[in-house]
Amino acid sequence: MLQAHSFLWNYLWVAPNLLVFSLGILLWKRGFSRILPSFLAFAILTAVGDLATFLADVIPSVAPETFWRFFWAELLLESLLKFLVIGEVFSRVFSPYPSIGRLGKVLVSGFGALLVLVAAVIAGFAKGDSVIHIIATAHLLEQTVFIIESGLIIFLFLFAAYFHLSWDRLSFGILFGLGISSCEHLATWAIIANTSPSEHVRTLFAFLNMATYHVAVLTWFYYLLVPGKAPEKSMIRLPENNLAVWNREVERLLHP
Amino acid sequence: MTLAIFLVVFAVITLFVILRVTVSRSLRHRNASLPGIEPIDVEAFRNLVNPAEDEYLHRRLPSAEFRRVQRERLRAAAAYIRVAGRNATVLVAVGQAALASSDEKTEEAARQLVDSALLLRRNTSFALLRINLAIAWPSLGLAAAPVLLGYERLNSCAMLLGRLQNPTVPIRISSVS
Repeated sequence: MLQAHSFLWNYLWVAPNLLVFSLGILLWKRGFSRILPSFLAFAILTAVGDLATFLADVIPSVAPETFWRFFWAELLLESLLKFLVIGEVFSRVFSPYPSIGRLGKVLVSGFGALLVLVAAVIAGFAKGDSVIHIIATAHLLEQTVFIIESGLIIFLFLFAAYFHLSWDRLSFGILFGLGISSCEHLATWAIIANTSPSEHVRTLFAFLNMATYHVAVLTWFYYLLVPGKAPEKSMIRLPENNLAVWNREVERLLHP
Repeated sequence: MTLAIFLVVFAVITLFVILRVTVSRSLRHRNASLPGIEPIDVEAFRNLVNPAEDEYLHRRLPSAEFRRVQRERLRAAAAYIRVAGRNATVLVAVGQAALASSDEKTEEAARQLVDSALLLRRNTSFALLRINLAIAWPSLGLAAAPVLLGYERLNSCAMLLGRLQNPTVPIRISSVS
């Protein structure tokens, strides 16, 4: 069962992509293209790309080199779209507040540049897991992309947590799914790209990667399609005071 | 191998942070009550961050005595700033809860309150950093003026939102002597 091209393997490769494609179409029909254009593009294009890679894998007439070219192209497209999605979530959460929006942009740009540098250095030190150049570099690229992606996601979560900013359901759901998927993928690709595991272990990691992506897709379904609870009014206890005195004090502070 | 271990540890920490944020978000949704706002004696704080006071003490006291007094003043100012930062955090939550209001004016007031509270939170972080530096080198000065300005702006935003949401109950985030 846990073998390449078994029924479960094919299911885990195809089903999440069909699901995320249908999610993209559903959201597009519901008018989400104005609210989440990058996520919609990600949902539809990566699903198409991943399904094309699957076909390249199963069709016997496709040469291994052609498959790996497909894999590279799909990986580059998916990575670009994921970074656009992270940027979209950042804008949704922080742009309404200019007081930290600008600071956030500066910090996220700086941190992003640092992540690129660190990921490049780590890739430079990696020994590679295959003698075939196109395969080894594809695995290293996976590792590099997931280092940057996980780093940016953790930055967004920590930055919002520091300011106690609450997330809207859509932004949180998208980043949560992406975060879970990227952490697991980073761990597996780091092991694959740096330790040259056996073929059986690689297959198990592939199953783990596909299953985690499936969970991420279901998470997006839950957060994007199931409506959340209506926000409750704040129950904060306000201290008793005389508003007139308070007003006078503020006036005195503002115009000493 | 070392690289792989390092990256796996990083991935696990990231996953832990994400799950922790998710749990705290879920708990916050279930338990809507927030900690209260701690009133601050703005006048005392204003006195502590007044550069003229620093100058006066510098002229009147011997150097060693001035540094000791200045450190005490800096610690007191830091305590006020921490409270202001905590209050800003509470007001971010209050403002965000009010953002869902159907009333346009309340929504706008809530947005302004959140923005001012975030600005204050940012300023308090920077001010605390500078105060800690100033405790090490008292001659650097307090540099807390942006916090005071932020707090005053926050006062007016909180008051406006309070008025719009419940005209009979006042909001106070500063004590009145």
